[in-house]
Parts: sequence; C-alpha cells; structure tokens
Amino acid sequence: MTRWGMVADLERCVGCQTCTASCKHTNATPPAVQWRKVLDLEVGAYPDVKRVFVPVGCMHCEDPPCMHVCPSTATGQRPDGIVTIDYDICIGCAYCAVACPYQARYKVNGPSFAYGGRTGMKNEARREDPARLGVAQKCTFCAERIDYGLANGLTPGIDHEATPACVNSCIADALHFGDFKDPNSNVSKLLEDHQTFRMHTELGTNPGFHYIWKRKNDADPQDEQQVAALFSSGIGSVGAAAPWLQQHWDWRAAGNFIGGGTGSGLMAAMVLGSLSTELPFLHVLIALACIGTGLFLVWLETGRPWRAPLNVFLNPKTSWMSRESMVAGALFPLALLAGWLGSKALLIIAALVAMGFLYCQARMLKASKGIPAWRQPALVRLIITTGLCEGIGLLMVIDSLSAFNYTGLPPALAILLIFRLRSWRAYHKALKVSAPDQTLRVLKILNMPFSLLGHLLPILLIASGYLFVEATPIFGAIAGACALAAGWLFKYQLITRASYNQGYAINHTPERGTGGGGPGGKPGWSTTT
Amino acid sequence: MSKKDQHARREVPTYCYQCVSGPDLLTVGVEDGVATEVQPNFDSASVHPAAGKICVKAYGLIQKTYNPHRIRTPMKRTNPKKGPDEEPGFVPISWDEALDLVAEKLNECRAKGLNDESGYPRVAASFGGGGTPTSYMGTFPAFLGAWGPIDAGFGSGQGVKCYHSEHLYGEFWHRAFTVAPDTPLCQYVLSFGGNVEASGGVCGVKRHADGRARGMKRVQLEPHLSITGACSSEWVPLRPKSDPAFLMAMIHVLLHERKWQELDLDFIRHRTSSPYLLGKFGYYMRDPETRKPLIWDAITDMPVPFDTPGIDPVLEAPFLVEHGIEEGPDGKEWVHINERCQTAWEKLVEHTEPYSPLWASHICDVPVKTIRRIAIEYLEHACIGQTIEIEGRTLPFRPVAITLGKTVNNGWGGFDCCWARTLLACLVGGLEVPGGTLGTTVRLNRPATSRQASVKPSRDGFMEYPMNPTDKENWTSRPDVRNANRTLVPLVANSPWSQALGPTHIAWMLQNATPENWPKPTLPDVWFVYRTNPVISFWDTDSIADTISRFPFTVCFAYTADETNYMADILLPECTDLESLQLIRIGGTKYFEQFWDHQGFALRQPAVQTQVDAQDFTWIATQLAKRTGLLEQYNDAINRGAAGVRLKSDVVDCSLNVDQEHSVEEIWDAVCRAASVEMSNGENQDGLDYYREHGLKVIPYEHLNWYLYPEIEDQGLRFEMPYQERLYRIGKQLANRLHESGISWWDAQLDEYEPLPVWQDFAALWERALEDNFKIDINDYPFWLVTSRSMQYAWGGNVDIQMIREVASNIAGHGGVIINTGRAGELGIANGDLIEISSPLNATRGRAILRQGVRPDTLVMIGQFDHWATPLAKTFEVPSMNKLTPMLLDLTDSTGSGADLVRAGVRLVEKAS
Repeated sequence: MTRWGMVADLERCVGCQTCTASCKHTNATPPAVQWRKVLDLEVGAYPDVKRVFVPVGCMHCEDPPCMHVCPSTATGQRPDGIVTIDYDICIGCAYCAVACPYQARYKVNGPSFAYGGRTGMKNEARREDPARLGVAQKCTFCAERIDYGLANGLTPGIDHEATPACVNSCIADALHFGDFKDPNSNVSKLLEDHQTFRMHTELGTNPGFHYIWKRKNDADPQDEQQVAALFSSGIGSVGAAAPWLQQHWDWRAAGNFIGGGTGSGLMAAMVLGSLSTELPFLHVLIALACIGTGLFLVWLETGRPWRAPLNVFLNPKTSWMSRESMVAGALFPLALLAGWLGSKALLIIAALVAMGFLYCQARMLKASKGIPAWRQPALVRLIITTGLCEGIGLLMVIDSLSAFNYTGLPPALAILLIFRLRSWRAYHKALKVSAPDQTLRVLKILNMPFSLLGHLLPILLIASGYLFVEATPIFGAIAGACALAAGWLFKYQLITRASYNQGYAINHTPERGTGGGGPGGKPGWSTTT
Repeated sequence: MSKKDQHARREVPTYCYQCVSGPDLLTVGVEDGVATEVQPNFDSASVHPAAGKICVKAYGLIQKTYNPHRIRTPMKRTNPKKGPDEEPGFVPISWDEALDLVAEKLNECRAKGLNDESGYPRVAASFGGGGTPTSYMGTFPAFLGAWGPIDAGFGSGQGVKCYHSEHLYGEFWHRAFTVAPDTPLCQYVLSFGGNVEASGGVCGVKRHADGRARGMKRVQLEPHLSITGACSSEWVPLRPKSDPAFLMAMIHVLLHERKWQELDLDFIRHRTSSPYLLGKFGYYMRDPETRKPLIWDAITDMPVPFDTPGIDPVLEAPFLVEHGIEEGPDGKEWVHINERCQTAWEKLVEHTEPYSPLWASHICDVPVKTIRRIAIEYLEHACIGQTIEIEGRTLPFRPVAITLGKTVNNGWGGFDCCWARTLLACLVGGLEVPGGTLGTTVRLNRPATSRQASVKPSRDGFMEYPMNPTDKENWTSRPDVRNANRTLVPLVANSPWSQALGPTHIAWMLQNATPENWPKPTLPDVWFVYRTNPVISFWDTDSIADTISRFPFTVCFAYTADETNYMADILLPECTDLESLQLIRIGGTKYFEQFWDHQGFALRQPAVQTQVDAQDFTWIATQLAKRTGLLEQYNDAINRGAAGVRLKSDVVDCSLNVDQEHSVEEIWDAVCRAASVEMSNGENQDGLDYYREHGLKVIPYEHLNWYLYPEIEDQGLRFEMPYQERLYRIGKQLANRLHESGISWWDAQLDEYEPLPVWQDFAALWERALEDNFKIDINDYPFWLVTSRSMQYAWGGNVDIQMIREVASNIAGHGGVIINTGRAGELGIANGDLIEISSPLNATRGRAILRQGVRPDTLVMIGQFDHWATPLAKTFEVPSMNKLTPMLLDLTDSTGSGADLVRAGVRLVEKAS
C-alpha cells in the first residue's frame, strides 16, 4: 500500500512563492488560480507576534469531503491516496469547492489570460486546456510525474522527474513528498524526527499534508493529540489568511434553497390545509414552480450545464446533491399526479417526498465542510423548519388572495415559528463557538430583524387575528408574508453573505533555529472549538 | 501533457541574473519553439550551493518573453516636449535609422570634445540592479570602454538603497563589498535590518534554512517584522536609526561589564591595531626612523615598530615614549619626547564607557536586559579559543556574526554601524574566520576576481586601499563626473564601480541648485539608460522626472514603456533574457551568500526566437562601435577582457581580429574558448557549442578562499580596527582641500572622519533636517516611514509581469501601506481603508494593511511602485516612499549616502467598501 503525501517544514519556509510560481508553470494554471500557494499569517499581538509562512493546497485527504459531496463522481481517490478530478465528468457545480475546508479548489468558467485578450500569449495558447473550463480543478500532486517516475523505476520525492513541481522548486527545502505508508521513506523519517501537525484535523478529513513545527527531542510527548494540546490555544489576528466570503455559490444557489424550501414546505402545508378542503391543482403547480425555479437557477450556476442533467445523478451513494436531484425527480411526477387526480393520499406521499427533498437540501449544506455556517448540524433543523414556515406562510398569503380558507394554518404557523425561532437560536448559539468572526458579524446583524419581524411579529399578528376577527385574513396574510420573507432573507444571507469559508489555521508557530515554537493561531476566528 | 511528451520537448540551459543574488542556473522547457516552463537546472545540483534551485523571479521570464506590452521595434520620439504630462509620440523606425540617429549624436559629441565646458563627460550612462545589467548587456561595456569618459554617476538608487557604508568601509576593513555570516558554520547571527530571506537569493535562503534546522539562532532587530524577522528565532522591534546605539551598547557590555579575558585577546593584540600607540593629536605615535607605528612590547618593555618579530604587544599600561613622531594631515608632523601615550585599545575603552545598555535602551526603545542578554549571547556563542581545520589549515572557529541591512547601512549612522559590527567581530576574533563575519567580494579594490589577491600591505601594517587622493598635488579638485565621487569621497576609490557608488543623488540634486564654488552643472549630451528606472527608483521622484525631461538626448534600451523612457528620444528594444547570448563568470564568493566550492562560466542563450524586432545587445554594441568609427578600439576592448575574459592568454590566443566586424556568435565563441582556456590552463578550448549544450563549465574553488584571515596571517597584517587614524587624517586633508576651494557646504560630512565614532542622535538629526528644510512641525509627521524588500520584485525590473504580481500578492504588504493594527485602530483606520501618507516633501495614497508585526510609530511601504507609465504596474495603485523622500544634503553622510527613511503623517481618506 502507498499513501502519497507532503510534509511542509514551517521552520524552513520563507514564503518566497517559488512553489506557487513553479506550480503555475508546470500545470499551466490561469491567472488567480493557485493550486499551491504560501500563506503569510500572523499569530499574536504586537510586540509578541509571530509571522509564519504556510504552504497550502489540496491536502489529498484520506476522507475527502470534496469526493463525498461530488454528485458526478468526477472527484475520485486513487489507491495511492491522490484525490483526482475527472474533467470529462465534472458538471462544475462547485459543491466540492464549498465542501473543501482547505479552499483548495478553483473553477474557471471561461478563458483567462495574463494580459487579457482572446487567445493569450504564445505560451498560454500552447498550454491551454479547454477541458478545464467550467469544471473544478486543484492540485494533483503532479500525478503524471509520479506515474511517469514509477513506470521508469524512479522514486517520487527523491528523483526530481518523479516529484511534484512545487517540491522540486522549493529553494528552502521546506517541501517534501513521499509515501507515508513506507516507514523508511523520506517523509516517514521526517515525521519520526519532528513534531508535526495537520490542519483542521477536527473536521475528520485526515489530510495527507503534514506541517513540521519543531525538531523532536526526548522530552517531547510523542502523541499527536498530546502535542496538539500543548500550544493550540493561540488566537490569530486577522490577515490575508483569514476566511473570506466564498464565491462559488451565489444568489442562484440561494435561489435553490429558497425555492426548494418554500416549494417543499408548501407541499407539506397543503397536506395540512387540504384536510378540510379540496386540493387545488394550482397550489401544487406553485409548489413545483418554486422547486423547479430553484433547480433551474442552480443549474444556471453549473459550469457544464449540458452535462449536469445526467451526471448529477451519478453519486447517490454519498452525495446529497445527487440525492436531492433524485428526490426531485420523483417529486415532480408524484405531485403532478396528486394534483391532477386531486388525490389526498398521493398528496401525502408527494409531501413526504418533498420533505425528503427539503431534508436533502439541509444535508447538502451540512456536508459543506468548507463553510462553517453551513456545516453546523443545528442548521438541518433550521432549514427544515424554515422551509415549513415558508410553505405555510406562502399558503396563508395565497389563502388571503383566493377563496380557500385553511383555518388550521395560522396556529400551525405560530407553532412552527416558535420551533424555527428555537432552531435559529440553537444554530446561532452553536455557531458562536464554531464560526469565523465575519460569519458571526453577518448573523448578528440578521438576528434582530429575523427574530422580531420573522417570528414575533407574525406570531403577534396570528394571535391578534383571534381578537380582531374581521382582520384575521389580512393579519394572516401579513403574518404569512413575514414568515416567508424572513425565511427567504435568512437563506439569502446564509448562502451569499454569511458563507465565509473555513480559512486556515496552524496548531503551532514553528521554532526558528531555537525557541521551540509557540502557540498556533486561526486568523479570522476569535473563538475555536 | 504527459511526462512522455515533456521529455520529447527541448530543454535549454541558461541563467537568470535579474538580481544581485544570482545568477541562478535554470532550464527552459520549449515546446514547438514556444517556451512554456522554467525549471531548476538539476544537472548543476552538484556544483551549485543551492542545488541548482532558482528564485521565483526566474519564473517570470516566460511571460516577460511573450508580454504583449513589449516595445516591438525601435522607436523615435516625435513630441519635442518632455515630461510626465507630455505624450512622447513614439513612432516605429528601422534599426538602421535608430542607430544612425544615436551615432549621429555620439559623433557630434566626439567632434565637440568628449568632455563639456564644465569638464563633465558628454555621454552618460545609468544602469540599475546592483551591477546585474552587465550580465545582460553583452559587449556594451566594450563599446563604453572604447568610447572614453562616461558619466555613470546619475544613480537610480545606488548609494541610498544599496549596502553603501558596507560597500565602502567593508572593502576598507576586510575586502567586503558585502558582508555575510559564514552561515554553514555560524551558530548565532544578529541581523540589524538585514533581509536575507528576501534578498539573499536561493543560496542565502538555503544556507539559512539549513542553519535553522541545525539550531542556529538568529535575532532580527528592526522596526517591522520582515520576511527575515519572521524566519528568525527572535524579533526585537527597535526604533528606526537606533541600530548604532544598540551596537555601541553591545561593545560597552563586552568591554565594561565582562572580563577582557573572555574576549579573543590574541586576535585583538595581533590582528588589530588595538596595541598601536597614539600621540596627543590623535595620530599614531611612530618610530622616528622607520616611520612605523609603535607598539609597546611586553618582552622588552619598550616601544617597537609594529612589525618587529617576536613581540608581545601590550594593550594597557602607562606608556612613556622617549622619542616618537606623529604624522598629521598634509605632511604635518609633531615630534614628541618622553610623551605619555595611550594605546588605541585604551582609547576605545574610554570612548565606549558612556554607551551603556541603559543609555541605549531609551534610544532603541528596547529593554536594558534585552540588550545585555543579546551582547552576552553573542559572546558566549563565539567559542573563543576553538579552532577548525579547513582544507588542512587550522583556523580560529568563531560561529557568531552580525549583518546589517539597508537603511541601517545607509546615510548617517551607517559608518557607526559598520564600525561597531566589524569591531564586535574583532573583539571575539570572528572577523574573516570560519563561522564568523565574512566579506564576499571586492568591487573597489583590484583584482575584482580575488579578495585574496587584492590584499597588499600598507606601510602601517594594514591592507592598502586605493583611496582617491586628498593631498594637495593629486586631489581631483574639479569633479570629473557630475556626482563628484573622486572629489568628495576618498573611500569610493576609482574602479569602474566607483562612480555608481559615489554620492549618486548629488548628480541629481546639483542639477537644480549649484552650491558655492562648484562647477556649473550641465546635462549630458547623450544619456544611455538600461535596466533602470530612476523616475521610480530614486527619491523625490517628481523632481527627478523634471530633471530627466530636460536631458537633450536620451537613449533607452527598452523592454516595455516605463516612467524614465517616457522621456526618451530613442527606444532600442534588446533581446530579453530568453532570447540573447552572453557568457558570464559564476562561482567563487560573491554578493550576500554566494559562497561556492566551484567557479567557472555560465551561458545565457536564446531558448526561443526573438519575439519582436529586437536585437542582441552585443550586435547593438558592435553597430554603435562601427558607426562611431570605434570598431578597432571596441574589438580591442573585447580582446582585453571587456566581455569578462581576456581573449589572449599566455598559452592560447583567442583574440578577435580588431579590424573587422564580428557576429554575435563569433564574439561569444571566442569568449567561450578563452574561458575554457582560462579554466584549463590552455588544455581545453571548448567554444560556444559546448556551452550551448551544457550551459556551464566549472572547476573547483578552494573553500579556504572563503576566508580572508589566512591571507592576513600569511602577510603578517592587521585589520584596521578599532582606531581610524588613516580616515581621520584623510578627512582633515579633504577639509583642507575643500576649504581652500571655498567649499564649506560639505563640512558636516567632514565631521564624520573620526578616529572613533562619536554618538549622534540620528533620529533627531533626521527630524531637524526636515524641520529646517521644510519649515514644518515634526509632530505633524508622527510616523517613521521605511521600506522593505520584496523577494518577488527586488532588482528584477519585473513589475509588469502578471504572474509575479499574482504570487507576490500572497505576501502581506504588496498592496498598500503596512501600519500597526493597534495604532490604526486609534486612528479609526481599518484594513483596506484608503489613507493618505504625507511627508514634508509630498503626499501619496494607498490602502492600509493592518499588521501586528510593525512598531506603532512606523509605516512600511514594500518595494518601489507608484508607476504611472509602465504597463500593468500603472494599475496597481500601490504607493512608494520614493515620492515622499527628499534628497537633502543635510541627510547625506560623508560617503555620499542617504537612507530610505522619512517622517510621515497619516490621514484616513475613504473607508474600504
């Protein structure tokens, strides 16, 4: 067995970016795409501050979240541990990019050249690879060099022709490549002789990229957990390595969660409402329109839209996006049939499927390990309750505009709003110790309008409806609209404003000649768990 | 592409010498005639100190080759008005027309006389990059040599942005144009603002990374946490320009708080001037017969000439010299009978008594205990008494060193720092010995190829030094170039490098104001510019631009448009790095950390066809020689070694026929053959084809040559430390000469010629100069503004390369102005806010970059940006301190250097969106 991986010696790295440039040459990446780069981060406060250079890129995790979420199976993992992307299968949904907690993935939709223009310079034209457009791309560990080397009896990590370009280029000998499964390999020896850590191990990714921070001596604890506990209480200051707002999923993705939540919530609300009245086909169509619009919007966001309708279904085994698509595929005919036939039994089945769709959406977010605001488990309940609130809210608005009268809806909404508010508070509380500062800032701004206008006001209106009977329809409509708008606002903010990525962290600052290193840091995070 | 395909392509060995820490040996991958990839030259791993690795700048060469913004053909200016606001109206012309226009101007100069009415050369030339342009300009030096007098004194940052004090005093004291630790053996380095991780090249980075890995401690002392500070064991954020105080306090600790027996007394007594006796006028007490300085010998208990064999020099005791003489300036001498004398050592001890850690603490803003601890750590790491064997010779082993960075090394205080650093090395016996403080190369002494061979004994037992004369008969009273280097700066000597190391800003300053009793400033009739952009890279850039706009005929060898060639008359595009041919010397010991165990030659060769209508520099030089009727002299200059190697040796003659024009390949083939002959003593004559295939050819270089100590020991010489009797005398003579000529505006500089540096409050000196010259209240400018090198850009001339911009952006500070986070908070400034930074001279704007790693009273602007004409770079909107830094005589030291330092104020302009 082989497990290829890298070791970066933080004591040696000087942040020169030669590896960054070398990678760009070897892999012909376009401007602003850096499969390998070196961070420049600070830990501590003046005058007790350390500045550390940290090479990052794809960590080739043993348990890669990017692979699990990939709906098309484009992201794979070789037996030797290298995480791969098949450009011919990838649909460019960028789900892998938001799932990666190392911000290692890029997506470039169109040709992009150093000095602009339509064809670029000669060297760019010579190396241009249209297969990489509109799909995910990242560090490959220069797999073709490794394969070439192995085929020619060379040793990756030792012989330069079989070694990743960044490692070859490193002028400080800070980067090393080799087989962790071979106890005699260069990298295994390095781990044996040094104290090391890996980034974001708390996320369970088991990355294949180790950082040396200290030379080992006999007094040091040998266990990685023990070593980590030694110093990992440092707090990083904001810097270039701080989390930034993800740009992979924009308002169109938000539209999917808005449309999907509202539509599936509406399906559930119809079950509730149709207990006492007829099932209007129009309402089914509205629900499906909501879901369909959301799916259409997110389809627009894919880099390879003509592949997406087929390839999105290829990974139901682990991808919640594939599952969402499959459930949607079942929901549409079922709901249409229920509406066409006016069958409440079928409607109940369709609503259950819609709940499944809603659940898939919630789990899609939870599986996005790269975005702390999304991966928080408490979000699942919040997404489901807000979907239901939106559905009932929308139905109450429709109700006020039509002849239908779903009397059971207002109390149901009031109860659900209480649940949603509790879910929100639980989610917000949980995030306070598990999200970057900027995410918390956005959610803090959202808290008051969301809580007051999206919950307390509609509950008050619903309650008032019982006191002022004449005003009940209008109060109900406003309450429904508030619940609906608050849900939409929340999801829009969640996807496009609060979605700061994980950023980077180091468990320890390295020793530099002497000193033994010090506490690590997590730029952009005031709290850590 | 598959690896198999990669192997089907062509790989061309060549070199990159964009910065002084090169050359780096690289290979260029060429696919179907298109250069696509730069890689290390792994074939050179066994001979290159950094295993053939190459710096990030070399990776920019491919974009440089195909950059669409290149000047594509020779160009002629059509707008006779020049200036930043005058569109030049360049139009393409043929090479014939361009060369004819240049030759016509040159021939006019020759007809009028090579020097103008003020005695200055009519032709001037400015080259940047710390001498690296010579590794790119082919045989142009041969043309300049054939031409005659050239004014190379219009600097582009030289003198103020180099390691200036070190260049001059370093060469003076230990043949050290630049100074480095013997990093492979060193265990403790004090780095005062040095930035080896950003500017030491691949060799520096590798050697220091190896040092850290084996536990070498490096303490970084500077106002901000630079790249090098980041990689150091400890950062001491001391106040700008307080470095001399820190170093003086270290000396105080060693001399006044420790026992002298802990020092290397053997080195001090036998390898320094410490035991030399001083007369009451401050000059050495000399033997009346031999005129040699006297030393008190413990064995005979009497004064004897310093070089008397078998003596035991005494450092301290009451000395009564029966009969001696002192030699003062201009032949003045004093005869002494029964005179009580001090040794230089005693004088030193007395002199440094006030400079305690407590005294320095207030100046440096560093705790007393930190200063004391560092001084003691330095001493304790010195391993005094230990030896090491190098290639069969036993030498002292002293693994401690001190390095000085820019600004520390420039302007007032630079002399003090260099003196203190060199003295601290002497006190522990760590100068020019394994593990210690080493010089790297010589540029002012000759021969330039060997530090050892440049060591010639002076009559006082030190190394002789080629001072510019200050005696009445030989002083260059009328400057021969516009920066007056030979007239004002004796230490700058008179090598081909001296003009560029003179007071280079004086050439610019004097264009605007002629000082008293000084020749009328004139503009050069023809100015050549290559690989430099003084409008951006010097100070008071608005004023420089104004001066350049008045130059009558400027010829720029131009790669893209830039701020200087915006004012040019002719643009000549030369073949760039991957398109041109030249052989250069490599190996031995050279700038910074270039310490090789090999020496030889490397070839730069075309990896691809020239992409535009450019010409190889050698071809351009040949054509200019031909059109100015200097072909014979030009070929002769090449034969005499102007292309780097003498073509005729004792054993083989590879000379060119001087009468005829030779092609680029013919010239370099002859140079290649001569290089092979030189390395093999005539047994091998491999020519251009060999170098084209292999890229380089080397022979072993003795490791012992890394150290000057063996040569000093073999010749029985001493390092001229601590007492500066010679400089003191020269200063007095220079003062006499200048005063005789009615010149008093250099008096402050003359005060620096001291036998032992007397402390000045350098920060106050800066503040006072700004207040006096600009009539401002210094409190309105509460920050010190400093700069710092960027490894991605330093010396590279690569600011228009997109990839360099992209990767450099990963390092903090490249996008704006670094300010302390806490201090910014007090001013209501957040990360990314637009701020205005104003100095007494000018104001500029940039984005605030908040960092913890900078003193609250300091701002940092990395690199030199602020471009307004250079493609790509003009879109950066990144400020440069050059615009804010005035050129002031008050801030010019005796070597003609000033420092990258100014006071600044900050104002919030606009919050970040």
